[in-house]
Amino acid sequence: MILDWLQNMGKSSLNFFRKIGQFSLFLFHLLSGLNYLFFRPRLLIKEIYSVGVLSLLIIIFSGLFVGMVLSLLGYVTLVDFGAEGSLGVLVSLSLVRELGPVLTALLFSGRAGSALTAEIGLMKATEQLASMEMMAVDPMKRIIAPRFIAGIFSLPILTAIFILVGIYSSFLVGSLWLGVDEGSFWSQMQSKVEFQHDLVNGFIKSFVFGIVVTGIAVFQGYTATPTSAGVSEATTRSVVHSALAILGLDFILTSIMFGL
Amino acid sequence: MPNALIHITDLYFSRANREIFSGINLEIPKGKITAIMGPSGTGKTTLLRLMGGQLIPDRGDIIIEEHSIPSLNNKALYKIRQRMGMLFQSGALLTDLNVFENIAFPIREHYDFPETMIRDLVLMKLEIVGLRGAYRLMPSELSGGMARRVALARAIVLDPVLMMYDEPFTGLDPITLGTIVTLIKDLNQALGMTSVVVSHDVKEILSIADHVFILAEGVVAASGSPDELKASDSEWVQQFLHGLPDGPVPFHYPAPDYLQSLRDMTP
Amino acid sequence: MRLSKKTEIMVGIFVLLGAISVILLALNVSNLSNFSAEKTYQIKAYFDNIGGLRTRAKVSMSGVKIGRVSHITYHPERGQAEVTLTLNPKFKLSTDTQASIYTAGLLGEQYISLEPGAEDDVLTTGNIITLTQSAMVLEEIIGKVMVNLTSK
Repeated sequence: MILDWLQNMGKSSLNFFRKIGQFSLFLFHLLSGLNYLFFRPRLLIKEIYSVGVLSLLIIIFSGLFVGMVLSLLGYVTLVDFGAEGSLGVLVSLSLVRELGPVLTALLFSGRAGSALTAEIGLMKATEQLASMEMMAVDPMKRIIAPRFIAGIFSLPILTAIFILVGIYSSFLVGSLWLGVDEGSFWSQMQSKVEFQHDLVNGFIKSFVFGIVVTGIAVFQGYTATPTSAGVSEATTRSVVHSALAILGLDFILTSIMFGL
Repeated sequence: MPNALIHITDLYFSRANREIFSGINLEIPKGKITAIMGPSGTGKTTLLRLMGGQLIPDRGDIIIEEHSIPSLNNKALYKIRQRMGMLFQSGALLTDLNVFENIAFPIREHYDFPETMIRDLVLMKLEIVGLRGAYRLMPSELSGGMARRVALARAIVLDPVLMMYDEPFTGLDPITLGTIVTLIKDLNQALGMTSVVVSHDVKEILSIADHVFILAEGVVAASGSPDELKASDSEWVQQFLHGLPDGPVPFHYPAPDYLQSLRDMTP
Repeated sequence: MRLSKKTEIMVGIFVLLGAISVILLALNVSNLSNFSAEKTYQIKAYFDNIGGLRTRAKVSMSGVKIGRVSHITYHPERGQAEVTLTLNPKFKLSTDTQASIYTAGLLGEQYISLEPGAEDDVLTTGNIITLTQSAMVLEEIIGKVMVNLTSK
């Protein structure tokens, strides 16, 4: 019994380390092929379109609703202390530091990450990647690298848009519906939100999430078992691993950046 | 064999603890059509993958034009692959590009040709496979036979020295099958390339091949010209060529005694 | 590799939207417009007790924000807390400026308030504010009141 359990433990931890090793080798291979993109910027533009531009709608709508909900929620608590003027501070700090980077990354992994995994997995299953290799075109450079860079590039942009939309929608709900003073909303926000401490750190988070989410997505696609069941499993894994990695990393980054 | 393009010596390969090749020796003559045959699961496709450098053998060597494929680094391997063409069983067309762009893909990737030259090259190859009228279609709009012909046009667009066909006759209607057989033969003669055809369709293969290797149980079981093989007195070769259900190759996968299994096996 | 014009334009708009968002966030939401990229100068002040003062607390003069607390440490030789103030060079302080730690509102956070002196010389980087008043600690005040009440 205990021996079995120990054996399972050992097996799964060995598996885990093997996956990590595989992943780092994959990243290394990926990074070594990046110079190719300098000669083919159009590849990147196409991928930014499918990864970034097509995610815009869901990001804008989510930002809209998250901002409005934060406004309502914050108002109820703050009004008890007569501090509803701090609504702007509450909303903007939570969006800039946490909700913006984290929610955008989660939505992004569901919208774009899963699509990347499925696309690459299917290309593998239909031998498109193998045929490319035989045509002397490295799929790592031609297929994986543009998607990876497009993801890293798009996520911070989407995060900025999400935060901005969220803050403005919460302002609209706060000032038009709840009657929070417009001046104190903005002035308190501006005196509390710092460019370097809050905004820059928020974007660093979003950049890290971009690497992790897109990295996991393309890795899962590239290593998927080339069958329909294998691709569907890889897609699920891509979203689950991304979500766990985002939340775990967010805790670590938050405690480094804003702890104390 | 003099004038051989590919030398394979003492090749060992295993995957997932199963030995696929245990000491294969064969030579593929230049400018001829060589067929590699064998029952399913003998690793015919694996052999093509090994020749293309997509898999690394456990032991042994594959030499193509004085280059030892398994020991080439990535860069040299990609360079030599530019001179190879491979027709995949599924066609493996890039689904987000139309027929024209699929065929233009290798040209665009490797050369900086002007657009008019690319157009001429692509239309020329499409004309050969008889699909010039279909250049605008997307891969999803093609039938299986058309997709394979487009893939063939793509594989030969850079005029490879070595052309590999992976099961080119599987799953085609009789007319398309005839077209593909003729195409393989004509291409070989017109462009003078060395062709390696992996297949288990005996009739079609024997009609076009110059030399045949039959693989079984990890080794070359028989080889020779089609006529030599037909005249062979080996029971095994006869069973394979005529598709007899039972013979030296048993109908049953190795299993314990039937009655015994019925009594003992718990599902 | 052909790309439709629409794709390229959409990507252009996307990047532009991102840039606009970052600029708006920087200028409208954060305090980048106040000061940050500008030059600053640092002076030090020593307090017996800084109470709940934190780094990045506000430094104000007559209620106008002129800088921030950038560093807090304990100075063992003096036995006092050493507070570094990062100030906007637009505001010149005379050498006899007085620094006090106040609380914003009853439950608000603590900040440093500076009161200008009369000297002509001004403080520059590395100088020390000598006149300081420590934070009011609620327990101390209550303690004093209790002593006063019981001694009557």
